[in-house]
Formats: sequence, C-alpha cells, structure tokens
Amino acid sequence: MKRRERTKFNLKDFLWGWLFLLPTVAGLLILNIIPIFQTIYQSFFKTGAFGKGNIFVGLQNYKKLFSDASIWQALFNTFKYAIIEVPFSIAIALVFAVLLNKKIRGRTVYRTIYFLPMVAAPAAIAMVWRWLYNSKFGLLNHLLNSIGLESVNWVADPSIAFISIAAVGIWSVVGYNMVLFLAGLQEIPHDYYEAAEIDGANAFRQFFAITLPCLSPTMFFVTVTRVIGALQVFDVIYMMMDKVNPAIYKTQSLVYLFYKYSFVEYNKGYGSAIVVLLLAVIMAITAVQVYLQKKWSDA
Amino acid sequence: MKMKKFAAALMGLSMAVSLTACGGSASSSSESSSETSKAETTQGSSTAATGDTLTVAIWDTNQEPGLTKIINEFTQKTGIKAQIQVTPWDQYWTMLEAGASGGSLPDVFWMHSNEINKYAKYEMLLDLTDRIKSSDKVEMDKFPEDIVNIYNYNGKQYAVPKDIDTIALWYNKKMFDEAGLKYPDESWTWDDFKNACAKLTKPDGSQYGYALSPSNNQDGWYNMVYAMGGEIISEDKKASGFDKEGTIKAIEFIGDIAKKYMPKYETLTDTGATVLFESGKVAMITQGSWMLAELCNNDYVKANADVAVLPKDATTGRRVSIYNGLGWAAAANTKNPDAAWQLIEYLGSKEAQQKQSDLGIVISAYEGTTENWVKAYPSFNLKAYLDMMKDLQIRPYSKSTVVWENMLSEKLVKVWTGESDAKTVCADITKEMNALLAEEE
Repeated sequence: MKRRERTKFNLKDFLWGWLFLLPTVAGLLILNIIPIFQTIYQSFFKTGAFGKGNIFVGLQNYKKLFSDASIWQALFNTFKYAIIEVPFSIAIALVFAVLLNKKIRGRTVYRTIYFLPMVAAPAAIAMVWRWLYNSKFGLLNHLLNSIGLESVNWVADPSIAFISIAAVGIWSVVGYNMVLFLAGLQEIPHDYYEAAEIDGANAFRQFFAITLPCLSPTMFFVTVTRVIGALQVFDVIYMMMDKVNPAIYKTQSLVYLFYKYSFVEYNKGYGSAIVVLLLAVIMAITAVQVYLQKKWSDA
Repeated sequence: MKMKKFAAALMGLSMAVSLTACGGSASSSSESSSETSKAETTQGSSTAATGDTLTVAIWDTNQEPGLTKIINEFTQKTGIKAQIQVTPWDQYWTMLEAGASGGSLPDVFWMHSNEINKYAKYEMLLDLTDRIKSSDKVEMDKFPEDIVNIYNYNGKQYAVPKDIDTIALWYNKKMFDEAGLKYPDESWTWDDFKNACAKLTKPDGSQYGYALSPSNNQDGWYNMVYAMGGEIISEDKKASGFDKEGTIKAIEFIGDIAKKYMPKYETLTDTGATVLFESGKVAMITQGSWMLAELCNNDYVKANADVAVLPKDATTGRRVSIYNGLGWAAAANTKNPDAAWQLIEYLGSKEAQQKQSDLGIVISAYEGTTENWVKAYPSFNLKAYLDMMKDLQIRPYSKSTVVWENMLSEKLVKVWTGESDAKTVCADITKEMNALLAEEE
C-alpha cells in the first residue's frame, strides 16, 4: 500500500517535471537539435536552389573542404580572433568586476554603462565602429592626424584588420562577462578577506590567493561560453567589411564563409560541410576544456 | 557543488542566449517591417494589407517614390491595390530565396540577369508567355532583344523588361578648370582619360583623378574591357574571356590607374567612389544611369559636376557601355495571378514606360519612350547616357553569374592593390572561371 502510493507520487512528480521541461526541450529540439542533423545530412548533397533538386554526392563536399585553402585560412582567422578576444575580454572584465565590487560612489551607474554594449543591437554597434574606423573620415584617424600621426587603415589592412574586429568584439562583450564575474564575486564569503587581512596579506595577494581560486567555477563557465562565442564570430565581420575588402581573406571567419556559400552563392551543401567542420572544432575544444576543468577541480 | 553552480550558470546563460537571440530576430524583423510601413505610408492608399493587395518587391529606394506614383495610377484605373516593399540589394536575394523556398514570394518583383536562371529552372516564376501573346498592351518587340532574352528560359517568357541602364562619365568641372583641362567630350579616348587622371591627381593625396567602385564591375572596368576588345565571358557563355588580349590589356590599364591616380584601394573599400566624388576628393567617376537620383540631388555635385560620354578606345575605336535591364516578374504561386499580370502588363505598357522615363526614375526599356528622361534633371548633360546607347554590350551573365563574379572580384583585388600583376591574376581567373562554368548544368 505504502509502496503504491510512492510510485503514484513519483509518477506525478515525473509528469510535472517533464511538463516544466517541455517548452525548453521542445524549443531545443525544433530549433537546435533537428537542424543539426539536417545540416549534417545536407552536407552530403550538392544542393539545388530552394531546397529542390538535391543530388547525393557522398563525401565530395568534404573533399573540397579539405583541399580548400581559404577554409583553413578562415579557421586560422577564427582562432586568431578567439585568441585575442577571449583572454582580453575576460581579463578586462575581471578587473572591472573587482573594482566595481568595491563600495564606490555611483557603481550601479558604471555597471550599467559597461553592460550597455550588450544591450545594443550588434548591427548598430558594427555600423558605429565602421565609421570610427573609416580611413578617410573616421574619428580615430582624425585623432591620430591631429597629434601628427599617420592614418591607419583599420579594417582594410590585412595585418591589423583582425585586431580591429576583435577590439569591437571585446568592447561589446566585456560588460556581459563583468556581470557574470560580479555574481561570482558576491558569493565569496567576506570572512576570507578579513582573515587574510589579519594575516597581513595585501590586496594583490588577496586577489590571487582568494578571489581567483574562489572565482574559478565562474571563470570556467565564462571561458567555455566565450570560446564558443568567439569561434562563431560573424556579425561584426559581415557588417564591417566589404566582400572586396583587401583584408577579407585574412579576416573572414568560418561562419562568414558558411554564410557566403549558403546564402550568397546558394551552395548550401558546401556551407553545411563548413559548419559541420566548425561544430567538430568547437566540440573538440570544449571537450578539452571540460576535461581540464575536471582535472583541476579534482586536484 | 561547483558543478551544480556551473550547471545553474549554464542554464542561466542558455536562457540569456535564447533571449538575446529572440531580441536579435525581433529587431531585424522590426527593421524590415518599418521599411514596409514606410513604403505603406508613401503609398498614399494606406489601407491595411489584405489578401487582395499585391506586394511588390524592389531593391532601390531611389526609385520607390516614382514607382509608387505609377502604381497608384494603376490602382485608380483597375481598383487593384499594390504595395511596394524595398529591401536593399545585399539582402534582396536572400529575402527572395527564403521566400521562394518557403512558398511566400512577393506577388510581383524585380528580376535580374544574375539570378533569373535559378528561379526559372525551378519554376518559381509565373509563365507569362501566353498572357503576353494575348495582350494588346505589351509588345515584346518594342524592347531590346538582349533584355527580353535574359528573361526567356527554354522558350518561356518569365518577365517583362522594365528599364535599361547605361554608364557615363561624371567629372568635376572645378577640378578640370583648375588643372587647365578641357572637359571630356566625344573625342576623348581612354588614353586621354589616363593623361587627364595624371594632371588631376595631386601629390599630397588631397585629390585623385579617378575612383572605381571595387564591388561594382558594371559601372567600372567591364566597360573598358569591352572597349579594348576583350570580353568577360564568351558569346556561348561556356568560356572565360580572361585569356583574351583585350581583357588583359584593360585590366593592366586600370591596374596602372589604380596604382597612380586613384585613392588607396583601402580607402575605396570603406568609403566608396560615389561618396568620394560627392565630397570632392576625386575628379572623375563612371556611374550608371540608375544613380541619377543620388547624384543629381547632391548639392556638391549640382554645383560642380557634369556628365559626359565614356571615352572610346583609340585602337578599336569602340565606345562601349555595358547595359542591363531589370524585368518585372510574378510568383508562380501568387494568389492573384490575374491581378499580378495586370500590374505587370501595365508596367510594361507604353504609357507606364513613358511615365517611368518622364519622372526621371530610370531609362525605360520601351522603344521611343526615353527622350523625356533627359529633362528630369535639366542642369546635367544627361543626353550622354542616351548617346552611350549606340554601342551597347549586355552585362555578362551565365547560369551561375554570382559565383564567378564573386570569385573574380576577390581575385582582382590583388591587381587593384598592386600586389600582383594583371597577367598572373587573369590566368588564374581564366582557370577557375572555366572550371566554374563547366560545373554549370
């Protein structure tokens, strides 16, 4: 009797649980998981226009992919971008978070200001930066000229374009990282710092011995999500660079190429193959990160 | 504990991500809807879109006010309502492709030589052949044959020609006066043009002779290629023309001008030739007739500039303008095929074509309707555009134009920047373009 009651209760629990999960799961399934498999499926086809007339070509798209130098250049570009964006956006955000965690006057105002770029539409941000970077009429070059320096081709010089693009990426994401760090910081018990102060630890020692270790779960989370985000960079490049920009070859990311092949040249099969490559790369990197985090937290 | 926190944070993030994703799409759709609502308000008859209002998709904002007038007259005549929606060129084809895949194409829309093949092949467009035959308003033999042929696929006509466009030379009179040069005229050759570029370029970089829009070939180097006896693609559209002597000569010619008399290529990509001309940084540009509304209404251009015919080539004696023409097409699955056809029929009639020219929107495709077009902006020598019609070359196209056009504009960057020479790049393009053309089915 008692036993039956418990199963009944469990079943009810179970149903309620799933009911609550349903919206999210349904969304994930319809918007993410099913399309992933469709994309993988499509990558084995030479696609006709409008989703009609697909011809199965086996691994041909992948063969082309592996012999296409621009793909590997784009993968390299994507890494270049991530290697600049991720560490800088995290380091800067961490500094801001620590400073704004102190009781200073008007800190909510600062927090809001730093978070604002995250609220603005990426396309609008890119347009504003495009004008700042403009080589003839841009504000940045105007400032450089007024102090007697030469103009710089911010987004058209292959050796600096990716840095300019990454700078916009850092600028727009710092506020978001900062808010996450702030949340993490507020969970660190104040006693630790008091004890450290009694032991005579200075602010730097406190930061490295208490703040950083206690912040590691947040740090891990921010790093993982930022790496994924950075590897998927597209909007800033698409909005800020013309397709005939001389720096585009050394700046375009994998997602940019995916867009170009899928939606400009309508070669959806090849576009899918590119995106499958990106998926594989991101999964591999994330797996390594999770593995390292496990090792680190076990130690 | 740590893991739990991480999981919580991850969930929080996924929520945030999905939120921002929603925000993103919402803002983009509101952008497009604000555009449509703009079209709606300029429309005059701003009744809410119902099932029997035709949607008309175009990509050029400059033409919107004029076309709205013509369509309003159509509505007065027939009682059929229509609403223009403008989507900029870069997104137009993405929008149309999505519409075609999802079965929700606009009722009536512009077609272009770059894209017609695909839409005709997969039967996305309303077959107009029989309707044209039985119509007494649309006479296909009044339109240039080249343009009619673009929109003819396997003997079926899928669009009615709308307009044609030619290219002419814009020059800054003040800069010519300063340099003591005679204004460009019929006698100019491309060599005269180059010499003038040299005199109009100031060594301090404050003024250049010429500027070329790197992303637009039709109004720039295509013209020189054909004038110098070259070609982009062979007549039968099966082979690249980049191994032709004339093509290489033209690319070398422009490469040399780019190196010496044009603003740095980097500047051109982020500022654009037209803006540089309008701000008095370059003395000459070549520009298509579709840009009139932009150029003729610019105060600086009004005060300082005028138009002349393109130079001719000294060796071949040809003065070539690339030309192209849009077509009005309808969706195969439109709910109102008859209303859509009536609109296209009206837009292709002599009356509407005459109006299109008279309003100075574009040069109409209909024979004998163009004289009034030059009067739209009387202070400019617009006759130059009509004079260019004596030797026209249809804009090169094949079944997969976009693919090879993108490829060659990317490769030619190396010539414009001076990183590589014309011969090497042309050989490279020939090889790749021939491979792409062979893949066309």
